Amino acid sequence: MFPWVDGFHWSVGHIVFLSLFFAVVLTILSTLLSAVWRTASDFRTHRATDMCWQMNFAELPETERRCRHQLAGRVLSRICDNAFDCRHCLKYAEFAALPVKTPSKNVGIGYSNQLLYHRGHTWVRPESDGNLTVGLDELAHHLIGRPDSVELPVKGSEIESNGIGWRMRKNGHEIRVRAPIDGTVVSTGGDEEGWYLKIRPRLPLDLRHLLREAEVPGWLSSELDRLQLQLSASKSQPCLADGGTLMPELMDALPAADWDTVLEATFLEV
Amino acid sequence: MSELLVVDRRWIARGAERSSTTRFLLWLVPWVALLALGIYAAGLCLYYGLNQTNMDNRFAFGMWIFLDLAIIAMGAGAFFTGFLVYILKQADLKPILNSAVVLGFICYSGAVAVLMVDVGQPLRAWFTFWYPNTHSMLTEVTFCITCYLFVLILEYIPVLLRNRQLRKVPSFLVFEHQLHHLVPVLAALGAFLSFFHQGSLGGLYGVLRGRPFAFRQGFAIWPSTFFLFILSAIAVGPSFLILVTAAAEKLTGQKLVQPGVFRKLGLISGLLLGVYVAAKAIDTLIWLNITSRAVGFAPWDFYSYKPFGSALLFLEIVPLGLLPAFLLTVPLTAKKRGWLLCGAALACGGILLNRFVLTVQTLALPTLAFDEFLKYIPSWQEVASFAGVIAYGVIVYSLSYRYLPMFGRVKGADTNVSVG
Repeated sequence: MFPWVDGFHWSVGHIVFLSLFFAVVLTILSTLLSAVWRTASDFRTHRATDMCWQMNFAELPETERRCRHQLAGRVLSRICDNAFDCRHCLKYAEFAALPVKTPSKNVGIGYSNQLLYHRGHTWVRPESDGNLTVGLDELAHHLIGRPDSVELPVKGSEIESNGIGWRMRKNGHEIRVRAPIDGTVVSTGGDEEGWYLKIRPRLPLDLRHLLREAEVPGWLSSELDRLQLQLSASKSQPCLADGGTLMPELMDALPAADWDTVLEATFLEV
Repeated sequence: MSELLVVDRRWIARGAERSSTTRFLLWLVPWVALLALGIYAAGLCLYYGLNQTNMDNRFAFGMWIFLDLAIIAMGAGAFFTGFLVYILKQADLKPILNSAVVLGFICYSGAVAVLMVDVGQPLRAWFTFWYPNTHSMLTEVTFCITCYLFVLILEYIPVLLRNRQLRKVPSFLVFEHQLHHLVPVLAALGAFLSFFHQGSLGGLYGVLRGRPFAFRQGFAIWPSTFFLFILSAIAVGPSFLILVTAAAEKLTGQKLVQPGVFRKLGLISGLLLGVYVAAKAIDTLIWLNITSRAVGFAPWDFYSYKPFGSALLFLEIVPLGLLPAFLLTVPLTAKKRGWLLCGAALACGGILLNRFVLTVQTLALPTLAFDEFLKYIPSWQEVASFAGVIAYGVIVYSLSYRYLPMFGRVKGADTNVSVG
C-alpha cells in the first residue's frame, strides 16, 4: 500500500497497480469535495436560492407552470420556461401585446387591481416611500385562517425572490411562503396587520414578473379549480362547480384533507 | 398508526400514486423476516467461522461466490447505462438511469456484504487494502469493487436527496445539483472500474493452471475469461434492468418507462449477447482442441461427471445464449413485450449458469488421478445468508421506488406548447 508498509516492493506491478488505485481514490474524493465546495460557493454568492427555485420549478406539474399569458387568455396554451421570471422572458413583449380574451368575471374570491400578485399567493403593493408591502392573498388567507405561529425574518435581513419569505405553522403543518421580490426587510407585520413584510427593494426595481389586472382572475380561477379537485373526496370525479364561494378557515373546517399536498401546490413546493 | 400514515404520505412525492401504507407494510413483512434470518445466519458464520458452511479447503468457493459473481454481472446495468447516457449521449435511456443506479447499488453492496461474511474476520478486512498482493486478481477485484461501491453511493446520493422532504433542505438540493453535474465523471470512473473488476473476476478462473477445466489462454496477462466476463456482464446488465423494471411495473400496476426504452435496452443487450456467445463459442472450441489437450487432458472427460454433462454447455450457449440474443434483437419478437421479457430472463439465466459452471463445476471436477469428484450442497446458513441479501435488495428497491423519483415525473411528459 505504502512504501513503509511491510510487504511493499518497488516493483512495476506494485507501482502501476497502486498508482491506478490512488488515482481512482483521488478522483472519487475530489469529485465529492468539488461538489461540497461548489455548494458552499453557491450559498456564499447567493446563487443557492435561485438554484433551489429553478430546480423546484422544473419539478412542478405542468398545470402549475402555466404562462401568465395563458391565464389572461392571450394564448391558448403555454407552459412557462422561465421559472415565472418574466424579466428574462424573450417572448414577454410579444405576448403582452396580444389582446386579453378572458372576460372579467367574479371568480368567487377577492382580488385588487391595485395589487401585484406572485404565484406563491402573496401580493405586493408599492408604497409612496419607495418600499413595497407584502401580504398573503385572499385565497391563502381563506385556506390558513389565523396561523398558529408566524416566523418572520428579522429587520435588515435580505430576502430573495422565490426564496423563503417567512414561515407559518397551522395545525402541525409548516407553511413556507415564497418571497415575491428581492430586497431588505424594513418592517414586519403579521396576520392581524393584514400584511407581513415591508421591503426596501433591490434596485433597479422591476416588478414585471408579478401578475396584474386581467391575469389575476384567470390565475385565481385555475387555483380554485385545483383546490376543489384536491379537496374533493378521494376517487370522486371532477364535477361542475355549484357556484358557492370559498369558506374561511378551510384548514380547520376540513382537518382530514391532504393538506401537505394542498399547501405544497398552493405555495409552489414540489 | 394514523401518525405513521401521515408520515408515510409526507415522504411520497406529490402526485405519485403509491399503494396504501398498510399494503406496503404487508409487502415488506416477509422480506424483513427473511432479512432477519439472513442476518442471523451471517452472524453465525462470522461468530463460529466457516464451519457453518459446507465449503472446505477443496471446495473453497461455493454458493456465495457463484451468486456474487452473478449479481455483480447483473448489476453491470448501472455502469453500462451510465456509460450509455453520459459518455455515448443516449439521452433516451435517461428515464431508467436512476433505477439502474439503485439496482447497481443494491447488487454491489449486497455482494460486498456476502464477501465480508465469506472472507470472515471483518475486523481485519482492511488487511486486503493495507497489505495488497499485487499478483492476485482478487486484490484488483477487491479494490475495484470497493471503489465502485463508493462511486455508486455518490451516484445514489442525488437520487436520495430528491426525496420530497429532503429536497426542502436548501443545502441538500444545491449539493444534489452540484453532484449531479459531476455524475459524468463518476460514470466514466464507474466504467473504468467495472471494466477491470468484471474482467478480473473472470480472469480469476482463467489463470487457474491447476484447474484445467477453467484454465484458458489469452492476451498478455489476461486469459480469455477476462474479456468474456466483461462482455457477458455488459450484455446481461440491461436485460436484468428490463426484468426488474417490468416486475416493478407489474407489481405497482403503473407504466414506469416508455416501451421504446425497453426496446433499446433489449437491442443493446441482444447484440452484445450475440457477440458474447460467438466469442464464448470460439473460446470453447480453442479450449477443447488446443488449450486442454496441450496440458494432457481429454476435454470431453470433464463432461462425463453427472450432472455436469455436455448438455450444460449446450444449454448455456444455445437456449440461454443464442436464443435470447435472437429474441432481443429480431424486431418481430423484440417489439412484443412477452418475448422481450422472455429473452431478458433467458439471458440472465445464461449468466447464472455460466457463473455456476465456472465456480461450482470447476471445483467439483477432479484434476489429479487420485482426486475424487466432489459434491457440494450449501448449508442452510449459506442459503439463508444469501436469501437475506435478496431480501435486502427487495426492501431497498421498494423503499427507493416509494419515496424517490426513480423513473422521473410520474404524470405526463414536459412539453411547451405555444398556441397563440
